[in-house]
Amino acid sequence: MFRSLFHLLVFPGFLFLVISGLTFEWLDRKFLARFQRRVGPPWYQPLADLIKLFSKEDLLPKNANDFLATLLPLISLSSVLTAGLYVPIAGYTPFSFEGDLIVIIFLMSVPTLAYYLAGIISLGIYSVLGGGRSLLQFFSYEVPLLIALSGPAILGRSWSVSTIMETQGRLGPFIIFQPLGFVLAVVGLIGKLKRDPFDIPKATSEVVGGSLTEFSGAKLGFWNLVMDIQAVVGIFLLIDLYFGWIKMSHPILAIAIFVIECLILILVLSGTSAIFARLRIDQLAGLGWRILVPLALLQIGFVILMGV
Amino acid sequence: MDKIKKRFTLLNAVVEAMIKQPETIKYPFAAMELPEGFRGAIVFDPDKCSGCGLCVRDCPAEALHINKKSREEYTLLHYPARCAYCGQCEDSCRHGAISHSNKLVGATTHKDDWVLVFKDSKASQE
Amino acid sequence: MDKISIPIGPQHPLLKEPLSMMVDISGEKVLGGSLRLGYVHRGIERLAQQRTYVQNIHLIERICGICSHVHTTTYCYAVEALLGIEIPPRAQYIRALMCELERIHSHLLWLGILAKHIGLDTIFMHTWHDREMVLDIMEEVSGGRISHAANQIGGVRFDLDEEKGEMIRKILIKLHSQVEGLLDVIESEPAAIARTKGVAPISPDLIKAYGVVGPIARASGVDVDMRRDASLPPYDQLEVKVITHSDGDAWARTFVRVEETRVSLNLCETIIREMPRGDVVVHAPRRVPEGEVIIRSEAPRGELFYYLRSDGSDKPARLKVRTPTLAALSLLPVQLSEINVADIPVVLAGVDLCIACADR
Repeated sequence: MFRSLFHLLVFPGFLFLVISGLTFEWLDRKFLARFQRRVGPPWYQPLADLIKLFSKEDLLPKNANDFLATLLPLISLSSVLTAGLYVPIAGYTPFSFEGDLIVIIFLMSVPTLAYYLAGIISLGIYSVLGGGRSLLQFFSYEVPLLIALSGPAILGRSWSVSTIMETQGRLGPFIIFQPLGFVLAVVGLIGKLKRDPFDIPKATSEVVGGSLTEFSGAKLGFWNLVMDIQAVVGIFLLIDLYFGWIKMSHPILAIAIFVIECLILILVLSGTSAIFARLRIDQLAGLGWRILVPLALLQIGFVILMGV
Repeated sequence: MDKIKKRFTLLNAVVEAMIKQPETIKYPFAAMELPEGFRGAIVFDPDKCSGCGLCVRDCPAEALHINKKSREEYTLLHYPARCAYCGQCEDSCRHGAISHSNKLVGATTHKDDWVLVFKDSKASQE
Repeated sequence: MDKISIPIGPQHPLLKEPLSMMVDISGEKVLGGSLRLGYVHRGIERLAQQRTYVQNIHLIERICGICSHVHTTTYCYAVEALLGIEIPPRAQYIRALMCELERIHSHLLWLGILAKHIGLDTIFMHTWHDREMVLDIMEEVSGGRISHAANQIGGVRFDLDEEKGEMIRKILIKLHSQVEGLLDVIESEPAAIARTKGVAPISPDLIKAYGVVGPIARASGVDVDMRRDASLPPYDQLEVKVITHSDGDAWARTFVRVEETRVSLNLCETIIREMPRGDVVVHAPRRVPEGEVIIRSEAPRGELFYYLRSDGSDKPARLKVRTPTLAALSLLPVQLSEINVADIPVVLAGVDLCIACADR
C-alpha cells in the first residue's frame, strides 16, 4: 500500500514527473536561447512562471463553459501523469504489464483532444481556429508516429516497453535496425508537442495563442504543466524504445547514461525548433501523408522482413 | 557542393552561437558603455550664459524656459522629462554654456527633478 | 463552410504598430479583408506649420522610428533649395552615409520580423543582433541610436575622422559576411522557401495602378529607385545598383531586400573611401524666402516625397509628406484574397509596415 502510494506520488509519479517536466522546459529554453545568442532564463524560471500563473486571476469569456474549462486541463494532466507511470525510467518500472505501450500511446493522445475541445468551448475566434488546426495536425502526425512506434514492438515481439527493452539487451539497440523509424518518431513527437516547426495550432503570428488564447491563471498553468510532462514522457518513451539496451550492473551508471541520452534528445528537439520555419497546415498534411507515412511503412516492412 | 554548404548555413550559425558567449548585456548589473558623443543629460555652465534665450527659442520640445526681468536678471529653467535630447540647444548656444554629457537620464520619483533651475541670476548675486 | 471575420489589430502579436484589419475567412482560406488606419495620427503636418524651420527638423525626425534620418535629410534639402544654398560636398556624403546605414538596419529589421512571422526565431535574433552593430555605428558617430539628429539646415552636425571611418569599415566587413549567410538561408532553407515562394504575387500593372514604390515595386519588376532617378546629391556621383526581380511574390520581396542590403554595404564603403574633405556646414539664414519646392528621395521603404511652401516667415506655410507605406497599405486588401490564413503574416510582413510613417 505504502509502496504504491510512493510510486504514484513521488517516483516515478507526480513529483518526479513535475520536476523533470519543469527541468525539461528550462533546458529547452536555455538551449534555444544559446542557439539565438541570448543568455536564457535562470533554472527556477519555469517554476516561478507556474507559481505566478497559479496566483493570478482566472478569467474566461462570459458564455464559456467554466466547468469543462476546469475539467479539461485536469483530465489532460492526469492522463499524461498516468502515462508517465508506465514508462520505464533508466530501466525501472513498477507497474509494467503486457500491452502498456498501447496504453501509453492512448493516454498521450488525450491532451491533444482535450486541447481541441478547450479551443471550442472557450468561444474565442482565435481559440476556435487554433482548436481546428490542432485536430487537423493530429491526423497528420499521429498515423506516422503510431506506425513508427509499432516498429520496436514488432521487433521485440511484445507490446510491453520493458519486454522490448529486454529484447534490445539481447539484440542491441533498435536505433541500429530502425534509424528511419526513430527519426519519424521524433518528427511525430514534435508534432504531438506542437513545437516549432509544427507549432501551427499555437502560432503566435497567426492565431495569437491558439486554443489557449482565452485561458488564464491556474488553468493556463495546468496546461503548461501538461505540455511539459507530455514532452518528458515522450522523450523517456523514445529513449526506452530505441536506446533501451544498456543493462548496467551498477544503477548509477544506468541512470547517468539515461540522463545523457535524454539531454541529447532535448538538444535535438531544441535544435530542430531553432533551424526550421513553421509549416503551413496544408504543407504539414502533405508532409505527413505523402512522405512520413510511406517512409514509416517502408520501415515496418523492413522490420517484418528482419523478424522473418 | 555549394548548394549543400548553403543548406547548412543556419545550422552552422546555430552551432557557432552555442559555442560562443551570449551577446546579451545584463544592463542594470553590468556597466553599459556609452560613446563619447552620446546625447545624454544636459549640463549647464552658468558662468558662460549671457541670457540671450536662443536655446529657448530653438528648443523643439519646449523643455527650456526663461523668466526674464531685465538683461541681467533672469531665471533659466529646464524640464528633463520634456526634453527630446536632440542637441539643438547645444547647437544654438553661441557661448558654449549648454551641452550634452554622455550620462543616461533615468526615471525619477522626486517631483524636484522635474524642473532644474539652470541659472537664477538673482540668487547668484545675493 | 461559413464565413467568419477575424480582427487583426489594433492590438495583435503580429503587429508592432497599431493597424486594424478585418479579415474574412472560411476555414483556412482568406476571402478578403478591409483596412482601418489612423491610430497613430499625430498631426505632424499641421504641427510643422506652427514651428520654426529649425524646430521642425526634430519634429520631422519623429515621424518614423526606423527611417528617421531620411525624413530629416529630405526636409533639409527642401529648405536648402528654398534658401538657395548648397551644402558642402562632405556634408552631402555624410548624409548619404547615414541614409545607407539606415537602409541596412531597416532591411535587417524587416528580415527579422518576417522570420519571426514564419516561426524562424533564430534568424530574427541573429539579424537583430547584426542590426545592433549598425545602430552602434550610428550611436558612435551621431550620438543617438534612433534619433540621430544628424542634420541641420546647411549641413550636418558632426564630422567623421579617420579613426571613426576605420571603425565603420571594420564593422561593415563583419556585416558583409553575416548578410551573405542570410542570403544563403533565404535561398536554401526549405521551409522558409515553402512559406514565401508564390505567396501573394503582385503584377507590375497592379503596382503602377496603386502607385506602390520601393522594394515591393522592384520585386515585381518595376525599376524605380529615387537614388538613381531623382539624383539628389551625392547620389548623382555614386553608382547605385538597382536590384529587381520579376516574380513579385513574398520570396522575391525578401530577395530584393537582402540584396539591397548588400548593395548598401558596398555603397557605404564607397562613400567612406571617396568622401571629399572640407567643411560640413554652411551658415543658413533663419527666414526662408517665399516659394515652393518638391524634393524626392529614396527611403528604405521607397520613394519619399516632400512638398514645402514658404511665405517668407521663419515657419513653413505648408508641409506635405508622402510616405511609401501608405501606397503599399492600399494594396493590402487586394493581396488578402486567395491566400491561406497562415499567409497573412507573410503578406503583412512583405509590405514592410511603418504605420507611424503612413499616419503621421
